[in-house]
Amino acid sequence: MKKILALVLALAMVFALTACGGTTTPKASEAPAATEAPAEESPAAEEAAPAEEAAPAEESTPAEEAAPAEEAAPAAEEAAAEEPAAEAGASSIAVCLASEPDTLDPALNSAVDGATLVSHLFSGLAKWAQDDSGALVIVPDAATELVEGVENEDGTVTYTYTLRDGMKWSDGKDVTAADFAFAWQRAASVELGADYGYMFEVVDGYDDVWAEEPPEGAQLNVKAVDDKTLEVTLANAVSYWNELLAFPTYFPVREDVVSNEGWATDPSTYVSNGAYTMTGWNHNSLITLEKNPNYVDADKVLMDKIEFYLSDDANNQLSNFKNGTWQLIDDVPTNEIAALKADYPDEFKVEGQIGTYYVCWNVNEQILPEGSELEGVDAENAKAEIRNAISLIFDRNYIVDDIAQGGQVPASSFVAMGMTNPDGTQFYQTAGSSEDFDGYYNVSADALEDNFTQAIEVLKKYYDYDETTGQFSGFPTLTYLYNTSEGHKAIGEYLQSALAGIGITMNLENQEWATFLNTRKNGDYSIARNGWLADYNDPICFLDMWTTASGNNDVQFGKGAHKDVAAYSLDLTDLGLDVKVENGTWAETYDVLIKAIKGCTDNEVRYELMHRAEDLLMSTGCICPLYFYTDLFMLNKDVEGFFSNPLGYKYFMYCTVK
Amino acid sequence: MNVKTLKYILKRILLAIVTVWVVITVTFFVMHAVPGGPFMGEKAISAAAQAALEAKYGLDKPLMQQYFTYLKDVVTRFDFGPSLKQRGRMVIDIIADGMKTSARLGVVAACLAALIGIPLGAVAALRRNRLIDKIIMVLTTAFVSMPSFIMGSLLLVIFAIRLRVLPANGSTAEGLILPIITLALYPMAYITRLTRSSMLDVLGQDYIRTAKAKGVSSAKIIFGHALKNSLIPVITYFGPMLAYIVTGSLVVEQIFAVPGIGRAFVSSITNRDYPMVMGTTIVLAVLIVVMNLVSDILYKVVDPRINLE
Repeated sequence: MKKILALVLALAMVFALTACGGTTTPKASEAPAATEAPAEESPAAEEAAPAEEAAPAEESTPAEEAAPAEEAAPAAEEAAAEEPAAEAGASSIAVCLASEPDTLDPALNSAVDGATLVSHLFSGLAKWAQDDSGALVIVPDAATELVEGVENEDGTVTYTYTLRDGMKWSDGKDVTAADFAFAWQRAASVELGADYGYMFEVVDGYDDVWAEEPPEGAQLNVKAVDDKTLEVTLANAVSYWNELLAFPTYFPVREDVVSNEGWATDPSTYVSNGAYTMTGWNHNSLITLEKNPNYVDADKVLMDKIEFYLSDDANNQLSNFKNGTWQLIDDVPTNEIAALKADYPDEFKVEGQIGTYYVCWNVNEQILPEGSELEGVDAENAKAEIRNAISLIFDRNYIVDDIAQGGQVPASSFVAMGMTNPDGTQFYQTAGSSEDFDGYYNVSADALEDNFTQAIEVLKKYYDYDETTGQFSGFPTLTYLYNTSEGHKAIGEYLQSALAGIGITMNLENQEWATFLNTRKNGDYSIARNGWLADYNDPICFLDMWTTASGNNDVQFGKGAHKDVAAYSLDLTDLGLDVKVENGTWAETYDVLIKAIKGCTDNEVRYELMHRAEDLLMSTGCICPLYFYTDLFMLNKDVEGFFSNPLGYKYFMYCTVK
Repeated sequence: MNVKTLKYILKRILLAIVTVWVVITVTFFVMHAVPGGPFMGEKAISAAAQAALEAKYGLDKPLMQQYFTYLKDVVTRFDFGPSLKQRGRMVIDIIADGMKTSARLGVVAACLAALIGIPLGAVAALRRNRLIDKIIMVLTTAFVSMPSFIMGSLLLVIFAIRLRVLPANGSTAEGLILPIITLALYPMAYITRLTRSSMLDVLGQDYIRTAKAKGVSSAKIIFGHALKNSLIPVITYFGPMLAYIVTGSLVVEQIFAVPGIGRAFVSSITNRDYPMVMGTTIVLAVLIVVMNLVSDILYKVVDPRINLE
């Protein structure tokens, strides 16, 4: 009996094995169809022959009706649809930006890769484009023109946009001004709680919406006058308004579409109005966009199909780039950069990106030597001087050339390269007071020695210095906090060794991302790695994060003991503002300054105020900029017509593949 | 099957339920004790937005209340709730998506391992100390000791980059070939060694000698007696191994960009996506507990000498 049972079991196992083997067979048949690139060159293509034969047969069934039947089915169908398309000379490109996007709802998205996808799927009032010379410009998209605002008596500014004729959603319905009005109200609402809800801060009514006790019916001052006319009123004119119109948070969505909370997670419910429609989303794996015939400018869109593969593994991305499967990858393994630059000189790309990699101090960290008699304002000024001196010790050229290796630019100011003054000059070049160099200190390689000597002289005032060994004593031990990553670690190690050279001990501590954010935000650190990427081309997005109440005030300005430190002065009378503070607290100076900037309508004055704000910020020494970010990616040399914007969004609609 | 066995199975099922409950409870509280939250990013959202989101997902309630609500939803409605990070998606759907790929990967790899491993092990045992045995042993030792990330990268470089015969990403069925091989090699080598030693053991048993003495053909001895009995340890290893490959394929999923459950699990932890962390933990825990249970019961069924008490 037992033996029979055992035999049955053994048989069952064998059967299971065959069954398992069996299930793979049909799967295999869908394989060659779905992966297009390697199929052509691989011997496997021969085996795939029956599948290909089967494909046209399937294709004759109305593909649209059958849409999302089952997970496996769309893959085969797509493939089926792809074959005849390829014959007709249709173009397609496969790229990989990152892993699965958290959301493709334009209002909820806050990621750069998500913004790229959304920018292909939706058409806002304005968009980024290249002019004839190849320069990036903001041009009207859904709007007929980007109108000038009309100033009202109360200082608010009203813009009236006319929508272009013939715009349709991907399901065929008309795009109306009401869709824009609805989308903006939704994106800015408390209920949605979108990361980028604050992008509507400039619109009149935003403060009411987010007031602690919002007045009845509080909403943004935006309305659809008729189907084609959208009227929006800003609290005051801002120079970057047109750029905001091209920002994904400002893209339209339709009320009946988004009433289904899961609308943005499945192609069957995803309705968009842009150059592309989403035809497939195999979660964690692949998002397929195909040209939207309903898009008004469809004739200008050159790329028929874009496949966004989803992987966040830099090595995997590189493998797929190297074997030709993917034409663009947005991440490269840090330790391969040098080799890639040498091996793929035409394909390794470095583009500017508006952002700063920096080290931030906790303003409340005690760094004076033990037994120091300095107190209050004197202590704060001394700390500021010490922090600024330490900032001079680091060799930013070494960090950029030997560690980061990605064409980054040594930074001497917090507001990043790429931010421009009203006259078009770089903001960072007019920062600081020196005529000899840009920013707040000289970061050229030649100045390194002078900087070092200068720093030593300052530190000597506060700490015991041994002339023979060149070591300070009495500097409290620091701990450098960074989030776990090889790149951050390498930079941390350099900073550590540079400080060890003058006798300052700095330990390294790494934390996993979410924990790190929490620790830094709560100010439970002495000195930490930090970075900031711009959302739009206006220095205010680098400056308003340091107000006392800001959620990004990692330095803890105006918090804890620093709340009562009255060490800052501010005099804006020369700019015609009634602000003069001597020895004020952070709240009395910096917060006031930021408020003045946000309410300022004179652009010249506004930029001068922003320079003053950065001066004040940098005088604390709490921010130690290391370099300005760049955007590194690999782009196949056969691809033409590609461009990216300074925010890191990439555009494939005008691409052709040779 | 007698009453004793039934009682034992019942006891084990109860124990399994308790185990899963303990896993749920510990995960829930440890997860909430870890610093950071689901709505944190490099760019902080305002306190008001944070509060609105917490209220929306019930995270503003006392922890104990959240715990009981969660337990109730899971037990009564099998409702794992919505993902906090992938807005608009339900945890159960995300898990189902990931499981589909991971299960396909795991089952095929496990079957492959058994299909190749058992004959190899048998051959090695029958040709003990001959050249073929030595080759098999050297290879299996190599596969058992080589970590999957090295094996995966090696296969990737050879087949996807140098020869370009297979894709380097697991987004298609063809792309699953390399990950399946990577995953299958370790259990295959293990099964080979298991089969070999157990077969050697069986071949030395008295009843085999008796069969030989009685003039039974060697084919019948091998297939009718030796192989069958030597598969007992393999059968019991199969269940836990399957659970292990399905749940432990994270590294392989990462290397080949396979949309499996392992990647989803790890990113949910990094994101502090509480319902996702809970959901995946529960599913994986149930899988492992069930597989162990099944293999224990099978053990008893195939080898009656084992006392289940």
